Amino acid sequence: MSTSSDSTATTTASAETSLVLPANLHARPAGQLARAATGFTSTVQLEYAGRTVNPTGVLAVMGLGATAGSTMTVRAKGPDAEQAVAALADVLATAK
Amino acid sequence: MNTPVGIVLVSHSAELASGLRLLVEQIGSKDVPLATAGGTDDGRIGTSYDLVLNAIKEADRGGGVVVLPDLGSSVLTARTVLEDHPRPDVTLVDAPFVEGAVAAVVTAASGADLKTVADAAKEARNVHKL
Repeated sequence: MSTSSDSTATTTASAETSLVLPANLHARPAGQLARAATGFTSTVQLEYAGRTVNPTGVLAVMGLGATAGSTMTVRAKGPDAEQAVAALADVLATAK
Repeated sequence: MNTPVGIVLVSHSAELASGLRLLVEQIGSKDVPLATAGGTDDGRIGTSYDLVLNAIKEADRGGGVVVLPDLGSSVLTARTVLEDHPRPDVTLVDAPFVEGAVAAVVTAASGADLKTVADAAKEARNVHKL
């Protein structure tokens, strides 16, 4: 897992990380992701197989059909971007 | 966090409503007030005015209530109940039953307000499964 972040001249920060999913991203972890994502002010995106969704939409996350062993990228932009990316990556990494 | 918005599942079948309830509790949160109105008063397939009315009371914790019907007379029964007991904080939502319930409960679990929860359920119509 690699994490990168940078701050621009404004207060907007962005962060990104990619990880290999340990389990299929089915309904239960999708629900956990959605709840985690709404707790941040940053804009968060999940990218999988060329598609990008907002993880606050649980159905959109399920609709990605992301399977175990594949790579997912988490991106965030905003004041708490790094914390948001870390929190969502943690949900994905511990998904069963 | 605000009092979570409550969700009422209205179905012709008590088993369908309670099965969906089990599903959304797994995906969403047990903290969201959830009530079902499935079948008739005497346990047959159909809908019940009194069961819908009681379910709304049961799901109401002060944060508002989203009512999700499955089909046809579920919609009519729920609409009649809300016409007889009009409240600005109880909303009947046009959404796919399973997907709408999942989206509504997950959104309610995050502490969203009534409109946001209702919009999440409606938006479920536009989200593809494949």
